[in-house]
Amino acid sequence: MTKMFKGMGLVSALMMASALPALAQDDPAAAAMVNIEAYSGIPEFTPPGDPFDARACMEGKSILTVPASSAIPFIKTIADGKDALAKELGFKHAQWENQGNPTQWIQGMNYAANNGFDVVSLLAGADPRFFEPQVKMAQAAGVKVVTSHLTGLEIPGPAGVDANTAIDYKQAGKLMADWTITQTDAKVNALILVSNEALSTDSLVEGLTEAFAKCPDCTYEIVNVPIVDWATRIQPTVQGKLQANPDINYVIPIYDSMSSFVTPAIAISGKRDTVKVATFNGTPFVLDLVRDGTVEMDIGENLDWIAHAMLDAEMRLICGLEPVTDSKVPLRVFSAENISEVGDPADASKGYGDAYVEGYRKLWNVTK
Amino acid sequence: MHKSDLSYQLERFGLVIVWLAFIALFGALRPDTFLTWSNFSTIFGSEAVLVIVTLGLMIPLTAGDFDLSIAQIVTLVSMTVAILDARMDLPLALVLPLGLALGALIGLINGAITLYFRVHSLIVTLGVGTFLHGITLWIGNSQTISGVSPILMEWVIIQRVLGVPIAFYYAIGLAILIWYMLSYTAFGQQLLFTGRGREVGRLTGVAVDRVRLVAFVLSGVLGAFAGILYTGTTGSANPSSGTFLLLPAFAAAFLGSTCIRPGRFNPWGSVIAVYFLVTGINGLSVLGFRTFVQDLFYGGALVLAVMISQLVSGRKDRGL
Repeated sequence: MTKMFKGMGLVSALMMASALPALAQDDPAAAAMVNIEAYSGIPEFTPPGDPFDARACMEGKSILTVPASSAIPFIKTIADGKDALAKELGFKHAQWENQGNPTQWIQGMNYAANNGFDVVSLLAGADPRFFEPQVKMAQAAGVKVVTSHLTGLEIPGPAGVDANTAIDYKQAGKLMADWTITQTDAKVNALILVSNEALSTDSLVEGLTEAFAKCPDCTYEIVNVPIVDWATRIQPTVQGKLQANPDINYVIPIYDSMSSFVTPAIAISGKRDTVKVATFNGTPFVLDLVRDGTVEMDIGENLDWIAHAMLDAEMRLICGLEPVTDSKVPLRVFSAENISEVGDPADASKGYGDAYVEGYRKLWNVTK
Repeated sequence: MHKSDLSYQLERFGLVIVWLAFIALFGALRPDTFLTWSNFSTIFGSEAVLVIVTLGLMIPLTAGDFDLSIAQIVTLVSMTVAILDARMDLPLALVLPLGLALGALIGLINGAITLYFRVHSLIVTLGVGTFLHGITLWIGNSQTISGVSPILMEWVIIQRVLGVPIAFYYAIGLAILIWYMLSYTAFGQQLLFTGRGREVGRLTGVAVDRVRLVAFVLSGVLGAFAGILYTGTTGSANPSSGTFLLLPAFAAAFLGSTCIRPGRFNPWGSVIAVYFLVTGINGLSVLGFRTFVQDLFYGGALVLAVMISQLVSGRKDRGL
């Protein structure tokens, strides 16, 4: 009898498992909801590789971080986080302070090559395609060059760098699409704003289009607005599109700083009740806009977690371990339901739990 | 003084005619979308800040001075208002006058340096503007500040008259004031004399330095007002976005000087120029053109309009 029950249980479990994909195909909103729910809670820590003795193998080693711009708080916070961690682990970490000018990035590369650094970390947008000869020169001088938080998982490291620690931008793209699908009962008509020159855009767009492909009644239009034109072009473009296509129910700016130009366009067009905004990055001021209801959803990443993950990957490279491509930095969906967890005003590292703090220290064989 | 012949009238209203022609063209291509009141309310309601910056620029330009710092005044005042309101919770009744006073103070500094040290206003205001941008980044920690009182947005873009956001009427109200000032007040005439020839102005008894100083202060106040409206439009303050208003505002001021009162910076010409440019960009967006076409239109329209205006007026040398 017990055997029979066990057998029935197994059969029904198998039937349910096989029914799930069918359910997802029949009901895109339900399938999207599964993805959204998986990313709405406090994220868990997933180790990006095997444990190692960080203090021992980093003794006497050094890393120079060249941020995309020290004037951008998002990036500066990550670089400062790496500084603090390196101090805790007892090795030299320096930042090449700059204001986002490629000439300054090149100066940083030269500085690293001439001063015996082991690794140069090009952080969050310092794009080595702008200075490939200097990358080769630094490598010839024995410096390893790493791009950190620059591309999605599918994109190889550009300009012949030694390693590329990536973020799951494709998943972020999927989550933006899935959110709109769940909110409209799979009848999305979206205007997607992108900036093609950023390396992360390809992965984000791939995620969006893949998710929308599973939703037969969803339509979307992708418009490219270069980053330098955000302040002047986004507002008229969105206004024009909302006029030309009155059925648009979502605007998806793939980088959330675009939101400050999207939301006035929606208000001026008189469509605040019918057109919503879903976006990605978790920038504090946009999380504040989620709290006041101007933006409906923002996907965020924890900056301190990123600092841990990028430094972990760079240390592994120096220590001769398996290189890390997938940083395992988690994403979290913030909406009216959980926005109270990020603080008021929002803090870039709040709302993600602190599992990573202990997780990384165990991985590095240090106790706090 | 002017002949009221056909060519002069054509010159005066050339830009208006081209504007109407554009409306007809876009209307014919997309009548269901372009020729709707909601679209025109969007066109009129969306560029009040640019109109006010253009009007602000126009005053020192009339007196023969440049104010390149005005875009940074917009950004700094926008940031100051957002910080005082959203972060320090001060009442708007106090914050808004403080913002305007800050604009006036910067105008005063621009004027004082230009006049006392006899340095060209282009250099002074370029330097002051860059300095102000540094202050904006510093006080705002390079971040966008949001959480501004909804009441400010309410009185900038949410409240509507005839379906058009109220900010549009503020801009038109200011244009009327400036038109009246330039046309019917002694100060307006002194401003014109100062711009046309400082020595001649001085010899005819105009206090040229005082007039130029007041022009800078007015420009600062209008920049500050535009900054307040910017914060009210976006509900936040961005540390760099006002920067991008400078070139369109100069384009509109110069384009505006080719119509209504050709050869002079004039408020109605400026207003028409802004809405001519906005109509073109809106129309191109509605038709689905890619965004780089907007640049082609902006630059092309400016050069073309000035060329046509010169052809119509018989290619006489411009005083500007």
